[in-house]
Amino acid sequence: MSNVCEDHVFSKVFKTHSKTVFNYIFYKFGNEEKAHDAVQEAFVKLWQNCATVSPEKAKSYVYTVANNLYLNVIKAEKVRLKHADRHVMDRTNESPEFLMEEKEYKEKLDNALNALPENQRTTFLLNRIDGKKYAEIAEMEGVSVKAIEKRMHLALKSLRERIDGI
Amino acid sequence: MQENHLAKWLSGELSDEELREFENSEAFPSYQKLKEISSKLMAPDFDTEKALKRLKDEHIANAPKVISLNPFKKFLRVAAVIAVLLTGTYFYVSTLNDKVATEFAERSEVVLPDDSEIFLNADSQIAYSKKNWDHKRNVDLKGEAFFKVAKGKKFTVSTDHGTVAVLGTQFNVENRKGFFEVTCYEGLVSVTHNNEEIKLPAGNSFLVINGKIVSARKPNGTLPSWMNNESSFESIPLKYVLSELERQFNIKVSTKNIDTNLLFTGSFNNTDLNMSLKSISTPSKTRFTIDGDNVLFYAGNTQQ
Repeated sequence: MSNVCEDHVFSKVFKTHSKTVFNYIFYKFGNEEKAHDAVQEAFVKLWQNCATVSPEKAKSYVYTVANNLYLNVIKAEKVRLKHADRHVMDRTNESPEFLMEEKEYKEKLDNALNALPENQRTTFLLNRIDGKKYAEIAEMEGVSVKAIEKRMHLALKSLRERIDGI
Repeated sequence: MQENHLAKWLSGELSDEELREFENSEAFPSYQKLKEISSKLMAPDFDTEKALKRLKDEHIANAPKVISLNPFKKFLRVAAVIAVLLTGTYFYVSTLNDKVATEFAERSEVVLPDDSEIFLNADSQIAYSKKNWDHKRNVDLKGEAFFKVAKGKKFTVSTDHGTVAVLGTQFNVENRKGFFEVTCYEGLVSVTHNNEEIKLPAGNSFLVINGKIVSARKPNGTLPSWMNNESSFESIPLKYVLSELERQFNIKVSTKNIDTNLLFTGSFNNTDLNMSLKSISTPSKTRFTIDGDNVLFYAGNTQQ
């Protein structure tokens, strides 16, 4: 069986999961620096305990460590997401009004996201940006799939209400 | 519409009917737009390679790895088993009795830890615990032995015929098949035979032949005769005399037309076989022939 202590296994685990760990912490607290630190600390811990953590458990191990690091320690800041403009370039035939409208919409979305409870925002963004399935998010958060669906449902509802100004 | 239908819609888990119903709802265009735009969101840049390099440079190079102690634990486990076995063996061996035994035509002298002496006659065996000797002076005896017991705590000789207990004295115990004799040469000896205790003062013998207590002769001198290389008997069935002869000379004795229950009184020398045979044959009015290690006694009037 491969061992996390082996350099190539460890590097593979890092490359597969570090980005999501980073995003996960960032969605929760909106602090980029802390998210970078969380990645470092989570994987150092994994390295130190590589003999006892199997490669299969490594994923949930790093999420758990990263999550526990800042539990109740830092207050959520504003989550500043970037907006992909690639497709905007593709669609130069879009009318200026349309582009303007889309820009406005994104601002509204940002504000709405920041107003969400931390767990709803994290769930929503892990799904929308990282493409995580509800089951995966449930595993990361240590809750049931049903709870994640509930968070997702509430997140969509709140976002739409806020954006549409209902 | 099912519970959490917005989440189900986003993950494409709504049924066709539910989807149609949702698509016809007033709020649908808003959700559709939210779905579209949110899929274009991006998290801040994260350079995986850079982060990995930082991790390796800053942390892993210095971080002590938790090293599994399993191999050492395994070693400890084996060591513990060996230690237990060794200790167990030590205690087992140390509780084993010390044994001294003599073969036919052999004698031995044993000095016990308290300087008591035991002289073993031929084909005899004693066992005692050297380690426990200070607490319990006990000797298991098979065969015959003369004891010179140093003064001290109770000294016991255990045999399958009974127990002999003394404080400090000199006595002889003969414990053979069907034959049990205790002779006290000094002090007082207590003999327990069939749960009955008999006090045996110096100069007295206690004799049991085939389970019957027989009144025995008074011993001559201060030592059993075998200590002076002589086996002496007084009103002892001939078969026990012949058994003693076998033991002293390591020979095989057989008889023909002789009643070996007849009582024999006399003695034989333990060093000279021919003389001993004569010493037995003359008073018992028998004859004998020798063939190597075999001796045949036969009635005087029997034709050979």
